[in-house]
Amino acid sequence: MRNMKAVYLMMVLVLAALTLAACGGNNGNNNNQAAATDAPKNTAAAEPTKEPVKDPVTLTFLIPNTDDVTPYTQIFKDFEAKTGNKVEVQALPGGDYDNMLKTRFSTGDFPDVFLMQPGTKQYVKLRADETLYEWSGEAGVWDNVIESITEFQKDANGKAFGVPFGKTGMMGVFYNKDVFASAGVEPPTNYANLIEIAKKLKDAGVTPFYEGVKDGWPTQVFYLTGWVSQVDQEVGDEGVQQLNVNGLKLSEIAALKDLFVKSKEVKDLGLFQKNTLSGTFDELQNELGEGKVAMAFMLDGILPQLEKKFGNDFVKEKIGFFPFPSTTDTGTAMITPPNQLMVPSKAKNLEAAKELVKFMISSESVNSFYKMHPGIPIFKGATSELYPSQITVQEYIDAGKSKVNVQNRLTASFLDLGKILQTFHISGDVDAAIKEMDTNYVKDGKSKLLEGFE
Amino acid sequence: MEKSKYPLYFSFPAIIVFLVFFITPTVIGFYYSFTDWNINASSIKFNGLDNYKELFNEPRLKQAFTNTLIFAAAVTVLQNVAGLGLALILNEKLKLRNLLRMIFFMPYVIAPLVIGYIFRAIYHPEHGIVNKFFDTIGLDFMMQDWLNDPKFALFTIIITDIWRVAGFSMVVYLAGLQFIPKDLIESASIDGAHYWTRFKHVVFPLLAPAFTVNILLAMIGSMKVFEIVMVLTEGGPGYTTEVFYTYIRNTFSSGEMGYATAINMLLFALVTLVGVPVLMAMKKREVEM
Repeated sequence: MRNMKAVYLMMVLVLAALTLAACGGNNGNNNNQAAATDAPKNTAAAEPTKEPVKDPVTLTFLIPNTDDVTPYTQIFKDFEAKTGNKVEVQALPGGDYDNMLKTRFSTGDFPDVFLMQPGTKQYVKLRADETLYEWSGEAGVWDNVIESITEFQKDANGKAFGVPFGKTGMMGVFYNKDVFASAGVEPPTNYANLIEIAKKLKDAGVTPFYEGVKDGWPTQVFYLTGWVSQVDQEVGDEGVQQLNVNGLKLSEIAALKDLFVKSKEVKDLGLFQKNTLSGTFDELQNELGEGKVAMAFMLDGILPQLEKKFGNDFVKEKIGFFPFPSTTDTGTAMITPPNQLMVPSKAKNLEAAKELVKFMISSESVNSFYKMHPGIPIFKGATSELYPSQITVQEYIDAGKSKVNVQNRLTASFLDLGKILQTFHISGDVDAAIKEMDTNYVKDGKSKLLEGFE
Repeated sequence: MEKSKYPLYFSFPAIIVFLVFFITPTVIGFYYSFTDWNINASSIKFNGLDNYKELFNEPRLKQAFTNTLIFAAAVTVLQNVAGLGLALILNEKLKLRNLLRMIFFMPYVIAPLVIGYIFRAIYHPEHGIVNKFFDTIGLDFMMQDWLNDPKFALFTIIITDIWRVAGFSMVVYLAGLQFIPKDLIESASIDGAHYWTRFKHVVFPLLAPAFTVNILLAMIGSMKVFEIVMVLTEGGPGYTTEVFYTYIRNTFSSGEMGYATAINMLLFALVTLVGVPVLMAMKKREVEM
């Protein structure tokens, strides 16, 4: 017992000593503060208070590998030079990007910033209210974004969880001008004319169309770009709204069925390359660039890829574009709103991530982006040199003959469309393909707990 | 001589690890398979047998089920045939015996993902060495799009996996062969039994424990196949090479956690239903020997 008493006594003494030491330390600080306060003002001016040096951080930036990373890399270099913060780019497989992102979210493995497809449907997909930083009221973000894009970015409650970045994109038919000239053909005036042109090209010994069935996603372009020229004419905006609340079935749309029939016809006529099942996006670029293939239903992501492989002059002079033609005319240009930058609210370096986003949409960064990735700008005052293929789309937009991709207008997705189309390519069963597309669409709406899908 | 006994609490660390990392997640998973757990929902509700009812109406799952069974049956049989054949050859006195044993075992050590990437190049329809080989020897009609043609894709994955795992079976059979008393084989030889008779009446029965281990491991492992399918075909083209785990993976990543867990439970039940009777039958055969 006597020993324990001694221990307690020692503990009390030590604690008391520490308390006293703390008081003494505090006194010292106070003295210093007093000294600082008493110091003449000119001394303070001569030795300005230095800002606390922040520890540089490394931010993670996720991007699908179908996007060109080069312009982002340049912006991140400038960001590092300005702030000291580094940005590590992680390019995930384009086909699995959404799934991989959602998996990372559900396991709490948040990136700091990530590039996402356009539209408010992404908010539902990522449960934005709980997981994403909201930008609606953020100063210095919206001033330079053109109004229509700002509006597109907001959900029904006026909230924006993403910052638009990039350019207005497009999908349609990219063609090799030299190949067309050699075969003596011109861009089509309607769909029947397109098939005639394809037959002529085949007779001239060129593969008319390339289909990247192995990669899955390229096959979707035919249907999505065909939608604005054909299906929208049948269902209109009202029909799309009906689809949004599960009030209309995909299998009830005759024009959609017609698109599947048309795709089958192209295959049956032998207008695709031989090995469609092993067709890839990469090979598509090579074949189109080398003039072995005349056309491809594709998105504008192909332009920077072609530029990398065949040079800027090639893309400017040799690559043309036309929309999916309708039965009666040259069709409607399918446009896509820009991608968006998103920041998880639980990002490890939230403040630095916000700083990065603001840096990315600054005039310097935006112009640097457009310099390397020319496109129709969405920022006021931004300048961009357009490829001739983009000028074609701009002309359609100006003429009022453009429409936003249906996938961006719907909240539920055409789930696994790439796989469904691979199966369709093998079996050729139109009804089975549409039935599966319909089932998966409803399944996705149900999984996202959307109104009308319960 | 009395056997030394150890106190029961020596096993406690192992039991705790097993309970925490194996039993508890399994029980929790079993519970979640009866819920509507979805990453788009803010709460999780018990929904009885809804997930199980839904999955039995899912055509993709039927295809995954069929493909998994075909894969498991083919790999189990052929892996053991190849493994036993290699073991019998490499049990003989050969000059490069040890080197060959190492070469045949090596694929098993390489990660299935790496093997998948290597074989994607090997099976490439134009630049792959398989088609180049057929072209060179004048059998160009044998040139196929091995991974993208639905007629061949599953078969190609099966062959690749057998190449990968046959070495493991070989090692187990080799170990079994080492335990067979030499005097039994010598006696049979003196009695005039030729190689096949010796194998049938002496070697094969005494290899029963090695068969039990190999068949059971091959069966369970192949029913849980994932990486090699994922890298080679991603379950495609379409859904033609979809197996249980590629389907589960897609369902998990689309956020339907409860439903995906139910599919996992179904696979667990399937492995148990197939594995336990096979194990009992094989063990019985061992005893009867």
